[in-house]
Amino acid sequence: MNRAEMLARQRKAKRLLSLLLFVAATLFSVWFIEFDIMEFLSGIPLFLNFLFVDFMPPNLDDLSKYLQPVLDTLAFGVVATVLSSVIALIIAFLMAHNTSPHPVVRVVLRSIISFIRNVPFLVWAAILVVLFGVGTMPGIFALILLGIGFLSRLYAESIEEIDKHAVEAVEATGATYLQKLRQAIIPQFMPGYISWTLFMFEITIRASAILGIVGAGGIGSQIKLTMDLFQYSSTATVVVIMIIMILVVEYVTQRIRERLL
Amino acid sequence: MKIPISHKATKRNQRLFFLVMIVLFVPCLFYLNLSATQFAEGIARIPDIAKQFLQISLDDLPKLLTELLTSVIIAFLSVVISVIVALLLSFVIADTTAPNRHVAKVLRVIVVVIRTIPTTIWVLLAVASMGFGSMAGVLGLLFPTTSFLIKSFTAQIDEAGKDSVEAIRALGGTWWHVVCNGAIPTLYTTFLALIAFNFEMTVAETVILGMVGAGGIGVLLQEYISYYEFAPLLMGILVVFITLFLLEMMTNQIRKRLNSQAR
Repeated sequence: MNRAEMLARQRKAKRLLSLLLFVAATLFSVWFIEFDIMEFLSGIPLFLNFLFVDFMPPNLDDLSKYLQPVLDTLAFGVVATVLSSVIALIIAFLMAHNTSPHPVVRVVLRSIISFIRNVPFLVWAAILVVLFGVGTMPGIFALILLGIGFLSRLYAESIEEIDKHAVEAVEATGATYLQKLRQAIIPQFMPGYISWTLFMFEITIRASAILGIVGAGGIGSQIKLTMDLFQYSSTATVVVIMIIMILVVEYVTQRIRERLL
Repeated sequence: MKIPISHKATKRNQRLFFLVMIVLFVPCLFYLNLSATQFAEGIARIPDIAKQFLQISLDDLPKLLTELLTSVIIAFLSVVISVIVALLLSFVIADTTAPNRHVAKVLRVIVVVIRTIPTTIWVLLAVASMGFGSMAGVLGLLFPTTSFLIKSFTAQIDEAGKDSVEAIRALGGTWWHVVCNGAIPTLYTTFLALIAFNFEMTVAETVILGMVGAGGIGVLLQEYISYYEFAPLLMGILVVFITLFLLEMMTNQIRKRLNSQAR
C-alpha cells in the first residue's frame, strides 16, 4: 500500500469517526431532554395552525392604544443609545491598545466589559426590575448596560484598526495625549463611531421589544399582556407594529449611513 | 496661517449627526419622565442586595450544570434541524442556483419577515402553542436560526459558488449536479464555520429563552429572581458567564480562521 492510499484511508476514517460522534451526540441529546420526535413533528402543523388561525386576522380596532408603547420604545432607544455611546466612547479610549493610558487599566476594563456583555441582557433587566421596581427605569438601565457592553468592544476594535502612520506623524510633532486623540485618532474613528452607534439604535429597538417580558416597559409589555389574556388577534397587531417599526428604523439608519459615510 | 485639511462636507454632516442626536435626546429624556426618587431608592437598595448576592453557595451547582447542559442541547438540536432545512431551501433561494425565480422571491420575503421578529417572541409563541419545556424551545429557535442560516448560506452561494456552478451548467449538468457536485464541495468549510458561529449565537440565546419558559438554565435563573434567592442566582450568573465567555473565545478563533481563509 502506498502513502497516498494510506492518507486517503485515514481521511475517510476521520470523516466516519466525526459522523459517528455527531450521530451519538444527537441521540444523546434526544434522550437527555426527552425529545419526542413524533410529538415534535405533529407540533409543527399545530404551531402553524396556531399562528395562522388563532392570530388572524389582526385586531385593528384600537390601534391608537399602541401609539404610547411605540413612542416609549423609540424614546427608550434614543436615550439608551446616546447615553451608552457616550459612556462606551470613554471606556473604549481607555481600553484600546493604542490609546490606553496604562495596560492595567486596559485589562481591568476589558474584563468588566466582557462580564457585562456575557451576562444575558434579560438577566440584567430582571435584576434591575428587582432594584428599581417595574417601569421604564430598569428598562433604560438594562439597555444602557447592553449598549456599554456592545459598543465599548466595537469602538475599541475600530480604534485599534486606525492607520498607525497618522498617529506616529502627530506624535513626532510632540503632541500631548489629548492632541493626539483630537488630531489623529478621532477623525479616523468618526465613521466607525457613527456606523456602530446607528447599529446600536437598531439593536435597542429590537431589545426593547423583549424588555417588556420582564416588566421593564416598551412594546414587549403589550405582547406579554395580550398573550397572557389570550387576545391573540391583538398580539398579532402588536407583532406587526413591531416588525414595521424595526424595518423602518433599519431603513432610516441605512439611509443615514449612506449619506454620512 | 492655519490650513484646514479635513473634508468640509464630511465634517458638516458629522456635526449635523451629533446635533440631531442631542436634539432628539433631550425631549426623549423628558418624555420618559424618569423619577429621581425611584432612582435614589434603587441605588439605596444596592448594598443590601449585593450582600445577599455575595453569600455565594455551591449547593445548586449540580442542578445548574444539568440545566446548562439542557440549554446547550436545545441549541444543538435546533441548529441540527435548521441546518437540514436551510441547506434544502438556500439552494432554491440563491440567485445562482434558484430553479424558479418567483418561488425564490416569495421565499426571500418570508425569510426577511421571520428574521425581523426577535427570537424571544418566537419562543414565546412556541411556548404558548406547545406548552412549557425544551421542545417548545427547539421549535421557537428553529425559525430564527433557519432564517439566519439561509441568509448567510445564500450569500455564500451567490458569492463563492458562481464559477463552479457556471462550469457545470456549461457541461449540461442538471440542478442536482450543480448543487451536489458544484456548490456543496466548494462551500463545505465555509458552511461549517457559519454553522459553528450560528451554534454559539444560539447557545447564548437559549440561556435567555429559559426565562420565557423554554427549558434550560434560564428557567432556574427566572425562579431565583422571582423568589429573591440572590445567592444561587450569582452562582447561575457565573456559570452562564463562564460558558458564554468560552464560547466567545471560540467564535473569535473561528472568525480569525475564516478571515485567513478568505485572504
